[in-house]
Amino acid sequence: MTLASLTKPWAPMSYGFLDASAKRELRRKMIKAVCVPGCQMPYASREVPMARGWGTGGLQVSLTLIHPQMRVKVIDQGADDSVNAASIRRFLARVSGAPATLDTLEADLIQSRHRIPEEILREDQVLVLQVPNPEPLRSVQPNMSIARQMHGDADYGRMWLQLYEQIVRSGRVMQGASYPSMVNGRHVMTPSPIPRWDVPKLHMAQHLTILSAGREKRIFAVPPYTRVEPLVFDDVPYRVEEHGGLTCYRSGAKGFFMNEIPQGDGSSAYEVSDSEYGVKAIRTRDGEAIETGETWYKNGEMPQ
Amino acid sequence: MAYVATRGGERAIEQSERLFREAMGPIEAARVAEIRAAMPYLIDRVMGEASLYDEDLAALALAQTGGELYEAVLLLRAWRTTQPRLGVAAAVEQGDLFTHRRISAAFKDIPGGQVLGPTLDYSHRVLETDVLAGKPFDPPKVDPADNPAPAFQPSVSAWQAANDLVDLPKPDTTKGEAIPDVTREPLLFPSKRAHTLQSLARAETGSVLALGYAAMRGYGQAHPTVNELRLAEAEVMVTHPSGTAFSAGRVKVSQAEVVSKQGETLGLGFAATFGWNEVKCIAAATLDLNAKGAPKGSATEEEFFLYHTEGVEASGFCIHFKLPHYVTFQSSLDAMRDARAKPVKEPAE
Amino acid sequence: MLSPPLPDAAETRANATFDAILWALSRPGLPRALPEAGEGVLIEALLDRECQVYAGDPLLIPLIGQTGARLVDIARADHVFLGRLTDLSLLGHCAVGSDLYPDDGATVVLRASLGSGDSLRLTGPGVNGAVEVQIGGLPGGFWHRRAELLRYPMGFDLLVLDGDRIIGLPRSTSIEVL
Repeated sequence: MTLASLTKPWAPMSYGFLDASAKRELRRKMIKAVCVPGCQMPYASREVPMARGWGTGGLQVSLTLIHPQMRVKVIDQGADDSVNAASIRRFLARVSGAPATLDTLEADLIQSRHRIPEEILREDQVLVLQVPNPEPLRSVQPNMSIARQMHGDADYGRMWLQLYEQIVRSGRVMQGASYPSMVNGRHVMTPSPIPRWDVPKLHMAQHLTILSAGREKRIFAVPPYTRVEPLVFDDVPYRVEEHGGLTCYRSGAKGFFMNEIPQGDGSSAYEVSDSEYGVKAIRTRDGEAIETGETWYKNGEMPQ
Repeated sequence: MAYVATRGGERAIEQSERLFREAMGPIEAARVAEIRAAMPYLIDRVMGEASLYDEDLAALALAQTGGELYEAVLLLRAWRTTQPRLGVAAAVEQGDLFTHRRISAAFKDIPGGQVLGPTLDYSHRVLETDVLAGKPFDPPKVDPADNPAPAFQPSVSAWQAANDLVDLPKPDTTKGEAIPDVTREPLLFPSKRAHTLQSLARAETGSVLALGYAAMRGYGQAHPTVNELRLAEAEVMVTHPSGTAFSAGRVKVSQAEVVSKQGETLGLGFAATFGWNEVKCIAAATLDLNAKGAPKGSATEEEFFLYHTEGVEASGFCIHFKLPHYVTFQSSLDAMRDARAKPVKEPAE
Repeated sequence: MLSPPLPDAAETRANATFDAILWALSRPGLPRALPEAGEGVLIEALLDRECQVYAGDPLLIPLIGQTGARLVDIARADHVFLGRLTDLSLLGHCAVGSDLYPDDGATVVLRASLGSGDSLRLTGPGVNGAVEVQIGGLPGGFWHRRAELLRYPMGFDLLVLDGDRIIGLPRSTSIEVL
């Protein structure tokens, strides 16, 4: 045994910031997450140079998958220029040298907070969603040990009861984003705080989605072609936000998830939330020949 | 491109960081050295919460963050993540601690004596305002004791165990790499003993105090008696690959044992951390004392207090609410407006 | 600011290996190429001193030893390397985890020949409808035994190696022998 065989040459920073052992742990846990879709797998979750709750879970997944040829897109609330998206993009470039892209079609890896892009993701793309709270049962059971037991028993009665009570009280399910969804008919998961508009995009998708909560130290996944079914009652169908009929005041794009912009006169204007999709719509309108991908929603409706 | 100025976001975050750093001014080695020399207890607190013992790095972290403690601890933790693990130090027995201060509230006197050591406990909390007027505060010199206190003492609980007053936990002989490490594996419940003690050692002082205080006020079942509070230095003994054991230096540590009557025996709570931090150790030991049999969801349940005293996670989550949440907000607005638009059904009788 | 670090050969290999594993388990039945043939790259990408490993093929023991992983009985192993499996009874000892912690189910690596042998029809997550594959060189009754042992979400996950090609068969995949 020599010292050289035990150590590696000194480097100021590991490639992709995380050391080899952190990456191996994440790989092992990602394997389990893919093999049991929607089931939360605990992992150590290393500390990274960013505050907990700011995408450290997604970041650790991206840092494990990244290589110098991988084209990376980072969005927050659908926007590439959001300050935290810019910060994460800058960090990824700084520690990996991987090229960044804004174009959904060009990206190999998309790290996102709270949105899934409007253009359909292909099977060669990986979507990494940042997750603040991985536990869909938190609102009915804040204790994680008990909640874990409930998942083990597939005991989702209290979840259903909560939805039922909302319907009785308010005439509809009041869940906004993070709509609890059954994955592969077995595990209820939170799809992360994406709007209801985005949840159907996960169902039988072509791409792999990895969801990672750094602070809460849980990782889970939705493989391609996997059932993701929002919890609904037979007679009260799932309803996405009523954005199908709205038009973006800047790009003219219609039938996508919108940001509501309050106006001085008390009214609202709407702009398309997927910022790069909005850019494409403007450039196309202005006569540029650019490629826009197929979208999940067509004319404001998700085809069944 | 009129729609989004992607560079705009990047420029904004760069300039906001510059604003912060400009206010701090240039950081030189002298400033770091001054912080280290002037604020040992702050350094200790930061090293404990970071679970990284390096006074220079802790002082640097404080200099870089202007004393924003959560940021300083995060800086150190993120640095710690990148460091290779070269070895595992030998376990330190309490009797091997080079003791500076050791007091017990349970007995008037203890073997080895009550050693007050350095403390402000009996000081009058008076500001030396003359300093501001240009007159240096020059503290009087310490008179050495005629008979110095012994540097090495076993714990008070060892005496109690010998007198059959307390059930000490079975000595854990797990060694080296086999010791569970909460920074390399997830904390799960019921938690491993090593994970509990490591989490408390890394916990944020203020949060541990808040929950420990809640337990002391009556939200816990057990009222703590400070069996022993100790400030000490521990020898870090490591083994060279050739087999030679050697000391890599000493680290300051603090530890607290608290006890309370549980039936016919004494329950024991324990906590220890890097650096000298008495409040944290007493509060953490009180939580440990109360954890056994605590009701689920109570402030003294292990899951509750270990999650909620993790300062880096708690502060990160707290400040993450500054991030835009307009997508989730929009989604909630949609559900709210729709529910308002329809008449509420009266539940059927 | 420092210039971005460059990946060394080991990092590049481990990254590509994991890309293949993740792809293979996300698309059961579709083979994916590893950067090098054999278990070596899998061992390098996945194992370290935090792992407990069973090596059915003694030739792998030195390689596993270098990672710092502990060699244990098959029942306690989180990673099981069966090599070319002859004794079907070994499969029954692989850890399947628990309902509480399905992640304690083992990752099982074995060698087989892809493109010959039993014709299988796969369905489940990752499979678009159904996919048919041929896997040969495994003991008779292997697939039947696998089905008996899995209690979803408890179970083990298979990585089937043929040279530098890999197929993933997670516990979520239903396998019908045609």
